[in-house]
Order: sequence, then C-alpha cells, then structure tokens
Amino acid sequence: MYPTTYRRPRTLAEAKAMFADAENASFLSGGHTLLPALKLRLASPSDLIDLGAIPELRGIKVEGRSVVIGAMTVHAEVADSPLVRQHIPALAGLAGSIGDRHVRHRGTMGGSVSNNDPAADYPSGVLGLGATVVTDKRRILADDFFTDLYQTAREPGEILTRIEFPIPDTAGYAKFVSPASRFSIAGVFVSRTGKAVRVAVTGAGSGGVFRATDFEKALAADFRVEALANCTIDPGNMMGDQNGTPEYRANLVLVMARRAVQNMGAITVCK
Amino acid sequence: MTTVSMTVNGEKVSREVEDNIFLAYYLREALGLTGTHVGCDTTQCGCCVVHMNGTSVKSCTVLAAQAEGATVTTIEGLAKDGQLHPLQRTFHECHALQCGFCTPGMIMAGVDLINTYPGILDENVVRHEMEGNLCRCTGYHNIVKAILKAAAEMRPASVGDAAE
Amino acid sequence: MPSLRYERAFKAIGRPLARKEDGRLITGKGRFTDDFTLPGQTWAAMVRSPYPHARILGIDPSAAVEMPGVLGVYTGADCIADDLKDIPHNPVPSTQFDVKLRGRGNTPVFIGTHMLLPADKARYVGEAIAMVVAETRQQAYSAAEMVAVDYEELPWVADTIKATAPDAPRVWDELPDNVLVDSKFGDAPATDAAFARAAHVVTATYCIGRVTGVPLEPRAALGSYDASTGRYTLYAGSGGAIRQKREIAEVLNLDLEQVRVLSFDVGGNFGTRNRTYVEFGLVLWASRKLNRPVKFRAERTECFLTDYQGRDLVSEVSLAIDASGKFLALRASNLSNVGARCVSLSPLSKGSGLITGNYDIPLATLHARAVYSNTMCTQAYRSSGRPEVTFAIERLIDKAARQCGFDRFELRRRNLIGVKQMPYTNPTGSIYDSGEYENNMDRLLRLADFAGVENRREETRRRGKLFGLGFANYVESSTGSPKERADLIVRPEGVEVVIGTQPAGQGHETSFAQVTADLLGLPFEKVTITLGDTDIVTAGGGTHSGRSMRHASTVIALGAEDLIAKATRLAAHLFDVSVDQVVFDEGIFSAQGTNRTIDWFELAAKASSSGLPEFANGLWVRRDNEMHRQVFPNGACMCEVEIDPETGGIEIKRYATVDDVGRCINPLIVHGQTHGGIAQGVGRALWEACVIDPDSGQPLAGSLMDYGMPRFDNMPSFKTEIAEVLSPTNPFGVKAGGEGGTTPAPALIMSAIDDALASIGDPIEIPMPATPVKIWTAIQKIRAKRSAA
Repeated sequence: MYPTTYRRPRTLAEAKAMFADAENASFLSGGHTLLPALKLRLASPSDLIDLGAIPELRGIKVEGRSVVIGAMTVHAEVADSPLVRQHIPALAGLAGSIGDRHVRHRGTMGGSVSNNDPAADYPSGVLGLGATVVTDKRRILADDFFTDLYQTAREPGEILTRIEFPIPDTAGYAKFVSPASRFSIAGVFVSRTGKAVRVAVTGAGSGGVFRATDFEKALAADFRVEALANCTIDPGNMMGDQNGTPEYRANLVLVMARRAVQNMGAITVCK
Repeated sequence: MTTVSMTVNGEKVSREVEDNIFLAYYLREALGLTGTHVGCDTTQCGCCVVHMNGTSVKSCTVLAAQAEGATVTTIEGLAKDGQLHPLQRTFHECHALQCGFCTPGMIMAGVDLINTYPGILDENVVRHEMEGNLCRCTGYHNIVKAILKAAAEMRPASVGDAAE
Repeated sequence: MPSLRYERAFKAIGRPLARKEDGRLITGKGRFTDDFTLPGQTWAAMVRSPYPHARILGIDPSAAVEMPGVLGVYTGADCIADDLKDIPHNPVPSTQFDVKLRGRGNTPVFIGTHMLLPADKARYVGEAIAMVVAETRQQAYSAAEMVAVDYEELPWVADTIKATAPDAPRVWDELPDNVLVDSKFGDAPATDAAFARAAHVVTATYCIGRVTGVPLEPRAALGSYDASTGRYTLYAGSGGAIRQKREIAEVLNLDLEQVRVLSFDVGGNFGTRNRTYVEFGLVLWASRKLNRPVKFRAERTECFLTDYQGRDLVSEVSLAIDASGKFLALRASNLSNVGARCVSLSPLSKGSGLITGNYDIPLATLHARAVYSNTMCTQAYRSSGRPEVTFAIERLIDKAARQCGFDRFELRRRNLIGVKQMPYTNPTGSIYDSGEYENNMDRLLRLADFAGVENRREETRRRGKLFGLGFANYVESSTGSPKERADLIVRPEGVEVVIGTQPAGQGHETSFAQVTADLLGLPFEKVTITLGDTDIVTAGGGTHSGRSMRHASTVIALGAEDLIAKATRLAAHLFDVSVDQVVFDEGIFSAQGTNRTIDWFELAAKASSSGLPEFANGLWVRRDNEMHRQVFPNGACMCEVEIDPETGGIEIKRYATVDDVGRCINPLIVHGQTHGGIAQGVGRALWEACVIDPDSGQPLAGSLMDYGMPRFDNMPSFKTEIAEVLSPTNPFGVKAGGEGGTTPAPALIMSAIDDALASIGDPIEIPMPATPVKIWTAIQKIRAKRSAA
C-alpha cells in the first residue's frame, strides 16, 4: 500500500473539512473494499478519512414505515438486528450472506453501497426495496443512485449517512455465488408492497445492478413462480467472464428470481 | 506517522506507526507477535484473524490506526495461566493442523464462532460459518471435529451432530 | 536389509499419537521464514516481466535509485559480471528405476539455463528480471515500479499442444522447436498386433490442466552475509535444506561450508518448494554486496504468478479390449508442459511408469514428450504426474464400459492385477512391490455403502437433482532422492535423531520419534527429532514423492542396529563382561545371568568417561543409506455428487477411500494426509486452474478471487480406511501415505459427474475444472442433442 495520512474525525463537519483540506482523500468505512484495493496498489489516496468514530452514522431504527440503517452499520449488526429480522428478514439474510463472518464484523452498508461493485449484494437490496440513500447533502432514490459499474450518484466529498428501507409486505433474496470469489454471479432481490413489485438483479448485468422490469410486471399481475415462465433475460445485457457466459448468467437470473419468489421472507444462497 | 495505543493480550501498548501499516504487520513487526500470519492479499484466507473488541476480524484489512483504543487478542493471548484454551487442545487431539500456518487464524475464528454463534452448532453450521478461513493441508475434516469437540465442552446445550 | 526384531515390542508404532510439533503451532510460536528478523535487515522486491516473451534491451534504474530508502538495483548483467552460475535443477529424474527420458533422436535433454536474473529474455509473465533492495519492504516495492525496462516484445506460445508446432515461437533459440523430451517406450509391433485383433478399441484425449499449489505461507527468504566469518546464512522454507544449500553454493561460487540454510516450520509445500527459487540466491548475493541482511517475502499475487506450478499434461490414450472384456494393450502419448524453463521432469517421468494403472495390461507403448512454453515453470506437485495418468486410465475405462456395454466395476475387477502376480512388472518397467487391489475394491464398496446407492440415487432424483456415483482405483509410486542420513545421539536427558527430511506438516517430529522409540525400547516422549539446520543436518534427501517415512524409518532402523551394537560394547565394558554376554531388551542392557542392568541414559552419561576411544564424543552413531527401489501405494475410492441441473452447482455428498500405505506408523497423521490430498485432487477437478488468456498470454488467475479453492463449505467429510499391505522393499514395509488421496481424486470426481450427466442423456466430457457454468452448459448440450434425436 502506498503511503497515506490517516485521519479520524469525530463529527460529520470535521470529516467534511478534512476532505476539503486534503489533496486527494478517500473516506474509510469498514475498509473491506477500499483497503484491499489499496493493498493491490490500485489507488493512492493522500488521506484516509475514517468515518468510524462519528456516532450518528451508526444504528438501526424504525421511522414511520421504514427501517433506517446508519451507513457505518456493519453487516453483522444488520444480520443480527431484531428490527431488521422482524420487518425485512430478507435484508437481514442478505447482510448475513456477505463475505464471511470476519468480514461482516467490519464491512459496512455505506461502504458497500458507495462502492457499487457489480457483484455486491447490497445494491440489489437497496434497489429491490426502493430505498432512499441519505447523504450529508441530499436524499437520493435508489433508482437514481446506481449509475454504472462501480459508479454512483455520490459526489466526491459527499458522505452517506443512512439508508431508509421502506418496509415491504414481503421480500426475498436468492443468489448464486462464484466458487472462487464467493461474490454473486447472479443475485435477485424481490419485494412486494401492495400491488407494486420490484425485482433488482446484481452480479449479472454488464452495467451493474438493474431492475428486471419484465419480471416486475409479470409478478405484479400474478405473484407466483409460474408467472415468470415466459420471462426472459437478454444475454446481450449480461456480463461474461470466467464465472459465467452471458447465457449462463441470463439463466441464473431467471432461476434465482424463481427461488426468491419461492422463498419470500428469506435468503437463499446457492453454490 | 501516528501514535497508536491499544491493549494487546491484556497489555497496554503504544507505538508510533506508519499510517498505512495493517494491524497484522503491526502485531508481527512492531510487537514481535509473529503468531498472526498473512497468507493472501485479497482478505480471503483468514490466516490473520484476531479478536478486536470481542469479535473476530481479518487483521490484514484493518489499519493499526483503526485499532486505536481497541482490545486485541491474538493467538499468543489465548491460553490463560499456562492452560490451553479448549479449542487449542482439541486442535491437538483431533489433528486439526498439519503445517500450522493457517492455525492461529483458524483457532481465533473458531473461538469466536463458539463464543458468539446464537443457534445450534453442528457440522453444517461450522462448515458454513468457517467459510472465511482456508486450509490447504487438512481438507477441513479434522478442524470441523475439533471445533465441535471444543464447543461440546464450552456450550454443551447447543451443539449438534459432529462429523465422524 | 535388516529384519525387524522388535515388532512384538511396538508400543508407539501404529498408534494415533497426537503430534509433538503442535505445541508451538497452536500457541503462535511457530518459526516460519517471515517470522525471523535480523538487525539491519533490508528488503528486496523483484521487477517482473509483464510480457510472456520479451527480449530485455535495457534496464534503467535511475528513477528507482532516487527513491526513498533504495540501496541498490541489480540485473542479469550484474549476475554475469559476478560470474554467478545458473541453478543446477538437475531436472531429469535419474534414480535407478525412473523411466529414462531423452530428447528427440535419443539425445540428452536440452535444459537451458536458469540464472538468478536473466540477461537475455524474459520467458514468462512475472519472471524476475531485476531486484531492488531498500530499507523497507514498501519502499522496495514502490521503487521496483520505477525501474524502467526497455522490452522488445516477442511472439509467445502458452498452449501445451500449440507449443509443439514446428513453427511455434521458440522459447529457447538453441532448440529447433520447443519439444525437449521425445522418447518412446514399449513393444510397438506386439502392441499394434494386439490392437489389430482387439474386439474393441476405445480412444480418448484428456487434458489435466495446470494448477498451482497455494501453500498458505507465501514463499520467503532472509539472507545474511557475515563478513567476519565469510559465511552466508539463509532462512528459507523449502522441501530440503541440504539440496538448497548445495545448489545455492554452486550458483554463488561458494564452498559448501560457507553456506548455512535454515528451514524450520514450512507453511505447506506440496512440491512448490522442492526447487530453488531465484529469490533465495538473490537475497544472499545482495546481502554480500550490501553487507546487510536482505529479506524477500512474496505477495500472494507473486505466488500465483511465479510459484512453481503443477500438472499440465495432455494424454492421448487407447485401450484394446477383447470380446470378454480383457484388456489386451494400451497406447499412450503423453505431453507435459514444463513451462519456460526445465526445472523438473518428474511429473512426466513418474507418470510414464504408471500408465497401465492397477490393471494387468501385458502390452503398452508410450510416447513421452515434454514441451517448453512461455508460461511459469512446472514441476512436481502432490503426487507428481500420477493423478494425470490415473485420470487417463480410469476415465478411459469408464468410457470403455459405456462404449462397449460393460459394467464399469466388473470391467475393472476382470483386469485387476492379482495378489499372486506381485511383484508385478508393468510394460513400462515399473515393478509393483505388493498390493491387494481387489480387496481394496471390496473394502471400499462396503465402506462407501455401495448397497445403499440406488436408494440415494432415487431420493436425489425425487428432489429434482442429478445423482452421480464416482469410482476409481489407483496405484501410484514413491521414489524420491535415494540417499538419507540419520544421526542417533543418546544423551542423559533423551535421544536426538538428526535427519535430512523436510516436513511441511507431515509430522516427522512425531512419527520418526515413534519409530525410534520402538526400535530403541524408549518412551516416545524421550525422543526428539532435529531437522532443517544444515549446520546440524549434514546430509539428507528432503521431503517429496512420499519418500520420507520409508527412507527415514529404514535409515533409523539401520542406525538403531549400529547404535545397539555400539551400546552393547559400552555396556559390556562397564559390566566387565564379554559382548556376547550382554542382552538388550526393551531399552535395557543387562549382563546375562546377573541382575546388573543399565539403560540408554545411564550409558550416555558414562560414555565419554569410559576411556574407550569410540565413545570419546559420547554415545551416538551416524548412518547413511541409499535405496532406489520404488514402492507402490494403491487404493480405491468412491464418491457421490449431487448436481443442480438449473444452475450447474455441484455438491459432494459422500467420499470414501481405502488406501494401502504399507505399514502405517501413525494413523492419525496418515488419515490427515489422505484428507488434505483428497482436497487438492478435488480442487483440480472442480475449481482450480491456472488460466492463460489466449489473446494476450496473460495469466488470469492472479489471486484467490479468481482461483477457486477447496473450502469448509464445498468439501465433504470423509470416510477413510487404511490398508496395510507391507512392502517387501524396506524393513518396516512402508509405502507412503501422503499422496494417495490426491492421485485418484480428479478421475473420481469426473467419473461422478459423468454418471450424473448420464441420467439425462449421452454424457459430454467436461474439461476440468468442472465449474457450475461448464456443467450447466454441458447439460444444455446434452438435452439439445437428446431433443434433436
């Protein structure tokens, strides 16, 4: 890792000031996406601004009809949270399926969402629940947040503070993981609230996480696995790599969508 | 450079460190605690697992500076008053180590699992929860046995079926 | 060969004793190479070629030397200026029974050079072409990025078969093409005649592609030159400190006494550390230049790119079978990709000796070739060469069964070498020492609950999954360096055995102590084993090829005989009786007909003061031994897999093995070896591959993100049984237990997948690794073909 300067602000205001002062700073949350990249010398930030000591960035609560999770909340806390398990068990399951237990003790929701790795799980949960990403500057709807591979609407210096997840009637997440990286080759998050259905797919799309609108329409009309029988995914929009051809990913998206619908209220991990 | 203070294996330590040094190397090089090992560069192998503030972490992906004020336990701090931790003992009894390189991280991971897993610990759960630790020598079979054997001693009410 | 007089007194041998080495390893007190630090230590980083093949036109270190902490930049030109020699890998196996490989036209094999840093060309991606030394490791790696190298990119070839083409880019200008070994064995006319009259001929080509060992300890070396003594000390985990010392001394033009190599705890070897790495010589050389210790520790990415790799064999095989299912003859053409430099031809050679497997096939021809390519060098890796040829024969037999309408178990039984045929000489000259192959099968079928298979198959089918049953026999060989030495030293506090093997987890400190304890009639706790420091260990063959227990137990047995004789003389002197009146039994020497006794430790205390010249240095012996005869561990295994046809995901539900290891000294350790060996073989079948991009020649598996590994949650628990059919070749009857788990595993897994696919149509051979995408794709093809039909 290249040399850097480590900073540990106590408040949001301090963090913003440090960012403005620095030549080329990165925010550090759990560090389990950023630090591995820095170890491989893929980037060289002048400063690392650790958000871990800012109290208002942590915590889980219910506000109105949403579960609100602080951006610095670690995956293990989301997975074990009685609130999340009660209201959105598929989200707790998703969090509990990220990486491994040691990673879950450090990795944060904010860090994962900001990074928008095309194979990460949280983007499909955030998009699949129609969540709102709240930063120190504004509120951004999930549909507007994930813009491209590894890209989001967050501007440099902008800090995620919390994510608000509307509580659905029911939700489910099913994913198929790569034997090597254990990242998702296809992960499908399905939620239903009243007549509205959202289906968000991660791991597979060549532009990153996306909503499978055909699936949504079919399930909105008839929320059963059978409703997906005539749905297809265009392999032309799928990633191809060592983990899977575009045709394979297209198939997996369909299969995982079916399994999510079959196991609503839960996480289904397939290998 | 930053001065970092933490408690390691019960002892308060304070050192000046480069800002970009990881906790694993801080433990190995600044404190001479070479029991914690580094086996990969992608936060996957788990050889570096230590306990930080009561939970297991991969110390190769935590900056020493991030551990300011933390309580850290390494493999060297697991035995108490010359008495091996039950999991250290069952690793020995069950032949759950061969070359020994993954062993410190493996034991620290297993201790965390036994200490914190809320449900019934059986072979399936152990295999699933230990996903973040690699071993190239043992094929995992005996490690599963060792963890379940120690768990049966430490938390007998919530241990299920062991591998044969 | 000494007989074992004390078998009735075995107290430790055969018992599953927990290991002596564990104490330090479970408390964080292991001594791995990177754990050592010397005052004034500096760090080395390598400048590595980004190209698969490139001429080095010039190296400009000027930007690098300006960087903070940099102490020096060294190149291949500097190696030549210092008259450094190339590493004497001695890659052509040359023990008595090794298959003799030659170049085309029966010429010597062209090996090429392996300088610590090449001055002419880089021949593979990642090859070190310069070294930077700096105060800190980070400074060294940062400065290495700033060394400017002027490369002339050259055409390259990576694919094993493409590399043999006469017009393929040449890795070595000295050779007319890349084929360095081209040897033929066997009786061609008789084999051809057998094929001509055969009722069935079954042919296939199998690729057992390249993998890498991934020992969890990255390779590391700490070199230190002491100007006051002129000695060079190297801490470096390896497969044999004695060999490393000899080779590095030769590279650096040093006398052997000037070099000390220390290899204590080694974090996994599996073959990857059996040969000298350039960094080991480089740190010593740099230490001399700088008069400071120099340390190198590879990143995991460097390990993936530049650890010596394994496997990479293409095998075309044909089996001639008569109408009743009797095997008549085998033809095999085996092509081994050695990479850019010839480091060891062990895989090709060992495999050549085993192409007919467990089966009584009277005639065979073998065309054995090795080819250079612009890839990392390959050498021995867990069961060097044997999983590859086992794959070929076992998969071919499965194909024969399917193609010709035989039952795959009955076809095998019909052709197994029988007990009465032992020792059995196969068509490539291997003399199988002993084995009960049919008994292995019978035991295995019981262990695996073969009787319950159809129920489990049906139950799986009802759940919508594909059930696959895999089966394989195997026989493998253990040769290894033929020489070993043991010093047996008796002291008042215990017995020390100094020996030249080099464990990386195999438990030598325990199992050798068991052997010694029983031979000398001592408690196991009283024996310590010393390894790994060449100032103490003066000779030895290291650890590879399953050689260690066989060689160690034999030389210790011979040494024990010498030691007992010597101690008898001392006891006689102390008792003041003649030697033939001294009786030795279970660790006690007594004067016959009296109640005078003395034990080992009392003898040791009195030895040097006895006045007898032969005990001036205490009570100890040194014994050397040389053995060339091979032994042939063997066994049978079965597994059950479950495939999810919607995703191609595969789960191993059951895995059972019976392994004939000869005498089993410590079953706890041997079962552990089997478990780990199985995992490495399964890894080859399902997840592991050193993939090279066909367009750029770039290796694609640079980290654990790309390279799938056996893990807790993708490996099953095992049912393993040990069979002990003693080998007549050594006093304890030891074969080997370290590699039998791996040898049949790739064949076994692919056999199971084949069986699973057969439930939906004509199976398609899936090239390993059989990842989910490949299994799913095969299922689509099979279904499409079936619909079309």
